[in-house]
Amino acid sequence: MDFVDIIFVVFALIVVVSAFIVVFSRSIIRSAFSLLFTFFGVAGLYVLLNADFLAVTQVLIYVGGILILILFGVMLTTNVVSVEIKTGTLQTVPAAVIVAVLSGTIAGIFWFTEWHTAPAREGPTTKALGTLFMTDYLLPFEIASILLLVALIGAAMIARHERGTEGGR
Amino acid sequence: MSVTGSDLLGILAVGIVSVTALIAMLAGVFLKNSARLVMWLGLAGMAGAFAAAWGTYPSAGTAFGGMILAGGYASFFGMLILCAGILTFLLASDYLRKEGVEYPEFYVMVLFAVSGMMLMSAAADLIIVFLGLEIMSVSLYVLAGFMRRREKSIEASLKYFLLGAFATGFLLYGIALIYGTMGTTDLAGIALRFASAPPPSLFWVGAGLLLGGFAFKVGAVPFHMWVPDVYEGSPTPVSGIMSTGGKAAAFAAFLLVFVKSLGGGGAKVQTLLAIFAALSMVTGAVIAIAQKNLKRMLAYSSIAHAGYMLTGLAAANQLGESGVLYYLVAYTFMNIGTFGVISLIEQAEEKRLEFSDYAGLGLRQPFLGIVMSIFLFSLAGIPPLAGFFGKYYVFAAAVDAHMTWLAIVGVLASVVSVYYYLRVVVFMYFHEGPEGAEVISVPLLGSVALLLSAAGVVGIGVFPSSILSLTGWFF
Amino acid sequence: MVLLDYVPIFIMVSLAGIFGLVLSKASEIFGPKKPNPEKLSTYESGMQPIRTARERFSVKFYLVAMLFILFDVEIVFLYPWAAVVRELRLFGFIEMLIFVAVLLVGYVYILKKGALRWD
Repeated sequence: MDFVDIIFVVFALIVVVSAFIVVFSRSIIRSAFSLLFTFFGVAGLYVLLNADFLAVTQVLIYVGGILILILFGVMLTTNVVSVEIKTGTLQTVPAAVIVAVLSGTIAGIFWFTEWHTAPAREGPTTKALGTLFMTDYLLPFEIASILLLVALIGAAMIARHERGTEGGR
Repeated sequence: MSVTGSDLLGILAVGIVSVTALIAMLAGVFLKNSARLVMWLGLAGMAGAFAAAWGTYPSAGTAFGGMILAGGYASFFGMLILCAGILTFLLASDYLRKEGVEYPEFYVMVLFAVSGMMLMSAAADLIIVFLGLEIMSVSLYVLAGFMRRREKSIEASLKYFLLGAFATGFLLYGIALIYGTMGTTDLAGIALRFASAPPPSLFWVGAGLLLGGFAFKVGAVPFHMWVPDVYEGSPTPVSGIMSTGGKAAAFAAFLLVFVKSLGGGGAKVQTLLAIFAALSMVTGAVIAIAQKNLKRMLAYSSIAHAGYMLTGLAAANQLGESGVLYYLVAYTFMNIGTFGVISLIEQAEEKRLEFSDYAGLGLRQPFLGIVMSIFLFSLAGIPPLAGFFGKYYVFAAAVDAHMTWLAIVGVLASVVSVYYYLRVVVFMYFHEGPEGAEVISVPLLGSVALLLSAAGVVGIGVFPSSILSLTGWFF
Repeated sequence: MVLLDYVPIFIMVSLAGIFGLVLSKASEIFGPKKPNPEKLSTYESGMQPIRTARERFSVKFYLVAMLFILFDVEIVFLYPWAAVVRELRLFGFIEMLIFVAVLLVGYVYILKKGALRWD
């Protein structure tokens, strides 16, 4: 086990343990804050994969944005501290069976697949990404702006105030 | 690399729709009471895009370095989706006024949804499939909850969003695994590798997840749970475009990935599709019988129709594939038409949506009665209307592919379905309407839309070759 | 090894974590604790709290956070472009112009709709 492996295990543990807390914690605030560590751990894993730009994006968007959104979402609910987020447990057995089969299959196949590993690319990836965005992936890049725009109007539409028949104030 | 004129020509139709949406948005905020204006603007834009799709139809190829399909298949689906969009616009304006939610944003979101559907059906790369799907879905989530004061509309939006986001996650995970095993997201590249060597089992996990995502979007069993609540709660014109344009786009991408790229996917995938198809046909047809609400009945019928279309995919032969395309055209016209009549009869506060509200309608309002009967007969699959030929092609394809059992299940499900479609007709013509029932004035735009849909259903039913000659060379 | 580049970040994150933990624990351990009812009230020398602080937030917070994320994503797209813009010259500039113009339409929309106005 060399140094990088140890770092990987540390980050993987951070991700898995905090993800467990997210799911099993009784307080949704605690869940939301635990998610912070999950996101950070994933960013660390990206670093280990030499995906530096992705790691920064992860911190910028997930830690800096999505998490705030989730916290606001939590605060939108009336009961912050002790919300019973578990729904009725009628379907426990089928759900457990399905989850076990699915994750078992995926884990098994991951285990037996012969992975082709590309040679690790050293150095920052930002420039290469920029070039790809502007050449091969030009169309998806522009379409992404439309997608962002749709999300923008959608958010404004859903959260609009409706007074009388006057729209969108 | 630079962008050439042929690249731009390749995305001309979808580009026109997107730019129209942007202009419409600006017009919507800067001009007061601009809903009508935005509607006409959108209609003009979609008509222009239709002309562009028609014009580029003969020159099939790809654009932007193999990112997106141009002409041919893409133009065909572009025209189909634009038809759905135009009909939705025509039907929506009076409906929105009746419900007191006539905002320009409605039209803007429909335009964006249409551009997303067009992108998805023209995808030559899994990334475009994903982006198109997301643009379409996000627009539809918002449109489903457009009537913010109606509890059912909010419920529809939330359910669609939660389950849809989940399905998108499946799809994206599938794309990631396929990329991981094939080293590319380009559909042509995947096809090359798939043909040259058997892919590792991880690829099949990815393909399975992708299949789940598509099955969700077309509303096939076992990924159908969202359909009834969402179609029932959404504004009726939105249910119309969701069930037709959305389904067409999802099937277009489905065909591109599983038929064009993976060559049907092999016997196992076909068997799986056949099982999905059979379950959808039976579930949809049987549960639809018990419905009292017309929108809900149509939702279950839509699940059944997804099953019929999947039959063509499961057969994976040339007849089945052009059969699916024909079916999609037929379904678009007949289903938007049916939802259109419902949106006219429906009153604010979700009233007049039950079977009994249609009692005596055929005699009271001959026009609505006749067009509704045409749509329902076509949905039931009665010759010589379009619905019949759609079913005929996909069932014949199933028999050709040695899946006679599937064709038998399909025919039985169709027989069951005749009951609930004709029940509406029976109510319209053989039940006495309530005393002094008011005669609904049919708005001009709405009746134009209904006439166009009815003409489509009859026209392509009498001349099925008009569609088949357009689609015959795709596969 | 590339990981060496991340050592400063690691040091900073660790220092920040240690600093926060040590300070909060230190005040807990060393601070004098003489509680009385007056001291335990919400505002020690001010108004009586009139109702619970745990109220529902306005949906506007959510909307603002949502808009923030969307423009955050836009910036993420800007960054790799900025790294190569010199090599791409006018072509890259026009591409980004289209990208930003589309989002600008969205910005104008929310501005005109008053989604950024607070009252």
